[in-house]
Amino acid sequence: MAGTEEIYWGVDCGSSEIKVVALDGQGNILLKRKQKTLFPLQDHVRQALAGESGDLSPFQNEGSHDIKEGHKIIATGYGRKYIRFAHDALTEIKAHFIGVQKQCDLKDAYSIIDIGGQDSKVITACNNKVDQFVINRKCAAGTGAYIEELGHRLEVPLKDMTELARGNDKELSLNSFCTVFSGQEVIKTLMNGERIENIIYALYSSVVKRVMEMTAITTDIVIFSGGVLEFHPELVAMFAKKLEENNANITCILSPNAQYCGAIGAAAYGLKPS
Amino acid sequence: MSNVMKEYFLDLDRAAKDPARKVAWCTSVGPAEILRAMGFEVFFPENHGAMLGATRVCMETIPVANAHGYSPEICSYLTSDIGAYIKGITPLTKAFGIEEIPRPDVLVYNTNQCKDVMHWFEYYASEFNAPIFGIHPPTNLPEIKQEYIDDVARQFEALIHFLEPIIGHPMNRENLKTTVALSLEATNLWSEVLNMAQVTPSPMTFFDSTIYMGPIVVLRGTEIAVKYYKDLLGELKEKIQEKHSAVPEENKRIYWDGMPVWGRLRDQSNIFKENKACVVASTYCNSWIFSDFDPEDPLPSMAKAYIKIFINRNDQYKEDYIERMVKDFKIDGVIFMAARTCPNNSNASYNLPRKLKDKGIPTIIIDGDLCDLRCYSDEQSTTLIEAFLETI
Repeated sequence: MAGTEEIYWGVDCGSSEIKVVALDGQGNILLKRKQKTLFPLQDHVRQALAGESGDLSPFQNEGSHDIKEGHKIIATGYGRKYIRFAHDALTEIKAHFIGVQKQCDLKDAYSIIDIGGQDSKVITACNNKVDQFVINRKCAAGTGAYIEELGHRLEVPLKDMTELARGNDKELSLNSFCTVFSGQEVIKTLMNGERIENIIYALYSSVVKRVMEMTAITTDIVIFSGGVLEFHPELVAMFAKKLEENNANITCILSPNAQYCGAIGAAAYGLKPS
Repeated sequence: MSNVMKEYFLDLDRAAKDPARKVAWCTSVGPAEILRAMGFEVFFPENHGAMLGATRVCMETIPVANAHGYSPEICSYLTSDIGAYIKGITPLTKAFGIEEIPRPDVLVYNTNQCKDVMHWFEYYASEFNAPIFGIHPPTNLPEIKQEYIDDVARQFEALIHFLEPIIGHPMNRENLKTTVALSLEATNLWSEVLNMAQVTPSPMTFFDSTIYMGPIVVLRGTEIAVKYYKDLLGELKEKIQEKHSAVPEENKRIYWDGMPVWGRLRDQSNIFKENKACVVASTYCNSWIFSDFDPEDPLPSMAKAYIKIFINRNDQYKEDYIERMVKDFKIDGVIFMAARTCPNNSNASYNLPRKLKDKGIPTIIIDGDLCDLRCYSDEQSTTLIEAFLETI
């Protein structure tokens, strides 16, 4: 291998977006890329990995699926099994854990709250390994899809939600578990003349409630990862507030590169000494 | 195996069409020995439900039962089966060329597993205008007291009196001894078969066992079941000698609690295989081990065996039982399948996984169902199983 550059690619193929990260042999992040998850999946994952003409790419030449010597691709996310040119795959649970651990280098036990497009996870890690984890069960309430769907019903762009939620003047809450029934509740609340700010706050609050119901968080450190939390800072603030109510000593941190934690973890998994 | 089950169903079909022969329907852990000893051919609707699940025909039939007032939240064996009856279909047609399920001359259920079987059998008793008898044992037992055994033995005696007019003569008690002796032999062989998976690497998986278990459910009390398990045991011993591994490079051993997801057996089997994990033991397949049968004391020993089953016990018993299995089968982790429509056979709801985890046994809960695939998410379950395997 002497003289050959080693590059480790992590590709997190989620329900909304494909995230790609490349690490060098020392684990330094060389690049991050993302694009919408579209089909045919192979083509779009390939495109996300290859980037634009002239960019660093794991492929031997344009159009080919052959990987350059020294390059290794590790897949994670819901699409992990459908990426034919990946050398290995791991679940997003392990990938997010490795991604967070690599970037935050925590010695004490901690929990990761990751909200993705179609699932929410709470992972507890200690002694440098995953101790336990839970994923939302039965439905997609408390996930990115939930926020997106209700944002769509309210005609509020996702990027505006945090500012709107911060403008609330009461702590309204949504009762329903179900995305569709929540939509009905939102419409009824709007018809009653409720301010949109209070409704967005209620929507965030509902996500916090759903996730907190999944498991009891017992660690003093909580790391937030995933795209939804990166792009909804007020949601992170609300999570932190709720966690502090239960544990005054808790430290809440938004992971660096939160949306890319899974991809970073996958790439780092490829880098691990075999 | 397929020949054994084929011949069983073909003979049932012949019996149903022969006025000289009688067909009894029985729940899967009901007193089949009494029925067989009295000359009934025995049909097990739960086995039919499992076939509807495994063939995924249930996805056409459950909604039919739902539309007829049977909730999607109740036993999906029941809804699969009643829906199939209303629709006039059965997987027996495609599998064995049998047009319809055998008409019952009598129906006998035992609520040792749940009360849904009572509603299920009452539906058919009404449809076929057939006599029905229920055994109602004490449930959720911490221990097996003599008074419970006496109670159920008396109910079995009452059942015999109920059935005698149907067959037209008193029961031959010697036949009952012979039948119980055959059941005991088969069930002991079945236990030995399942214990073959204690060997590392295991020559069989839980997914194999869900197929192997057919005769112990539908043919116990017969020579056929005894022969089948003797042959199977021989084959498995040979596999062990040859160091055959059901999962190549087996490096994790898993215990499965709860029902199988019948419509996803192959997919789940593949997930474990790809991850070099072998599901070596289960609560479900072990539920047909009745070592307490005693041919010299048939009714009390049957009473004891049928109330002692795992599903009819309290949580402390279940916890101790799984702990024992973890030790005996060198288990690395326990998967709890929480079946949406079968709370009685799902043990994840009252903190049992957590208690085992606190004792150092890794556990995970996956949501699903025995038949109703609307309650099962392939992607979610695959991720959960794989992530669980990654962590242990």
